Amino acid sequence: MCVAGCIVPAAADLDAEGRSRFIAIVGKALSDRPRSIQRQFGLFLGLMRWLALLRFGAPFDRLSPANQDVMLRWLLDAPLAKLRGGFWGLRALAFMGYYGQTEVWPSLRYTPSFNGNELLYG
Amino acid sequence: MVERSFDVVIVGSGAGGGTVAKELAPLCREGVRIAVLEWGPKLKEEEFTGREAEMAEKLYFDNGGFLTRDRAMTLAFARAYGGSTVVYTGTSLPLPEEVLSRWGVPGLEHADLQRRSEKYLTENNVHLLDEDRINDNNRLFLEACRKLGYRVEQFPVNVKGCRGSGLCNLGCPNAAKQGTHRVQLPAAEAAGVEVITNCKVERIGGRECVVTVTNPPFGEPSRWPQGRYRIRTRAIVVAAGAVNSPALLLRSRLPVRLPALGRYFTAHPALILVGEHDRPITNFYGHPKSYYCDHFVESAKFLLETCMYFPFTTAKNLIGFGAEHAEMMARMDRMQMILVLAVDPALAENRVTVDSAGDPVVCYRFTDEVLDALVESQRVAARIFFAAGCRRVHAPAGTSFFIGADEAHRLEELINREAFKLGKVSISSAHLMGGCRMGTDPATSVTDAWGQVHGVPWLFVADASLFPMCSEINPYITIMALADRVAERVRMRLPELPAA
Repeated sequence: MCVAGCIVPAAADLDAEGRSRFIAIVGKALSDRPRSIQRQFGLFLGLMRWLALLRFGAPFDRLSPANQDVMLRWLLDAPLAKLRGGFWGLRALAFMGYYGQTEVWPSLRYTPSFNGNELLYG
Repeated sequence: MVERSFDVVIVGSGAGGGTVAKELAPLCREGVRIAVLEWGPKLKEEEFTGREAEMAEKLYFDNGGFLTRDRAMTLAFARAYGGSTVVYTGTSLPLPEEVLSRWGVPGLEHADLQRRSEKYLTENNVHLLDEDRINDNNRLFLEACRKLGYRVEQFPVNVKGCRGSGLCNLGCPNAAKQGTHRVQLPAAEAAGVEVITNCKVERIGGRECVVTVTNPPFGEPSRWPQGRYRIRTRAIVVAAGAVNSPALLLRSRLPVRLPALGRYFTAHPALILVGEHDRPITNFYGHPKSYYCDHFVESAKFLLETCMYFPFTTAKNLIGFGAEHAEMMARMDRMQMILVLAVDPALAENRVTVDSAGDPVVCYRFTDEVLDALVESQRVAARIFFAAGCRRVHAPAGTSFFIGADEAHRLEELINREAFKLGKVSISSAHLMGGCRMGTDPATSVTDAWGQVHGVPWLFVADASLFPMCSEINPYITIMALADRVAERVRMRLPELPAA
């Protein structure tokens, strides 16, 4: 949830139910993925921890918010495509955990309806 | 293992398989036994909820995010009764004559393909939506393209009783979209074709296939009990899509060597681009995809289409994270969206292979031309957004998260190739083509112009994997027209094929 809060700031403000939904969505998405992808994702998380330790002398979750942001922005634009791809996967999971919750949709002013035409034309 | 036998087995029930099933269905009256084996479920009507994460899990392989081997692109393709026709927007365009000329398949004539395409335009209720059914997201695109002098056309769509949920890509909750799940498959079943859902074909060997039926915790249970089956048959038609058809043939024991199998895969790699207005517009109500701009197809190798996606898909396609990303996401009612699709070349190295478990692996290399097209398309889309009145736009190849309207004169500089890095950008594809391409030379193609696998008289292919190059437009009507040809050839050949 620490990384998720950096990627989607509102995820840090989720209540207990919202956090449970977040964890359930992400857990399900990961468990549905091929084992090779799960393994690579685990490796990437481990690498992230080490990179934070090497660069800032502390694991990622103990960094200041400013240093966490620096670290993630470096990964976003990392020189190696594999690192960028790993961060893309992490980012996608965080977005899925948060924006995949229909409960947050009204706060985005996204209110779909099966009868959209009625709302368009009355 | 339970033994079954049929005269014709069709693998897959989408645009290709559904069409073949319906075209062969009249043979059931003569005692011909036909089965359609569909990997995915048949959802109950109340299961089309429009909830993004839930529908992605129920209808798509890998939740709609099947990754290429290098993780640079995600592929969206469905498994369901009706295949990907359940989840497309219903856009239905016949293949342009000049594209067919580029395909250069001897024996595949434009007049023939056009005649067959028109049959499905009628059968699936394809028409233009009335102007008063067009929302702001689409109307603004049309007006901006016209203002800029870009050629723009309206998409014909295959809907009946559309209520404008805008949820086409999650399966229409109002049963309005006329995919094969609404038209061809019910007709085929009524005529006696058996459709077996939740049925994965493991491999083909000789004139038989081995399958497993497993019911997921949603949808209607398969008409066959769960378990493994060996199905003997006279003819097999593979129509499992451009990823799964080559993968199935690659893990099967075929009596011939097919060096082109899996190769020449194309995908129309796509980006979702977003502009922001300073006021709410209507975007997620109404049909999401009404117009396309093919002005740049010849000159710069990309196509632009209107689109409107859902929160997670949208969030994933914006570059970056944190406050500015959240700021944009907080106003989905102000978003205008454009999908850009690159016209990609058919390269032998871009291919479907299988891993040690027999699962598909897609190897795809982006050429410089495709990357240039994707970057240039973002500049053109930004011009359209600004001409439509957007206050700022977001481009994946942008040097900053937002580009303001006051910077519109600097697009060449602000959107550039250096900022467009693979792995960082969300490139996706829903138009998967090639892998079992048609042709005359078995060294460079897999089937003949009628979908029959070279050297195997009982084996046919009937889906987008037949395309020798990309279609440069939305592919579904072309798949149906080609499947219609395949069905004709199967009908002709069946009397010559020995009994199962």
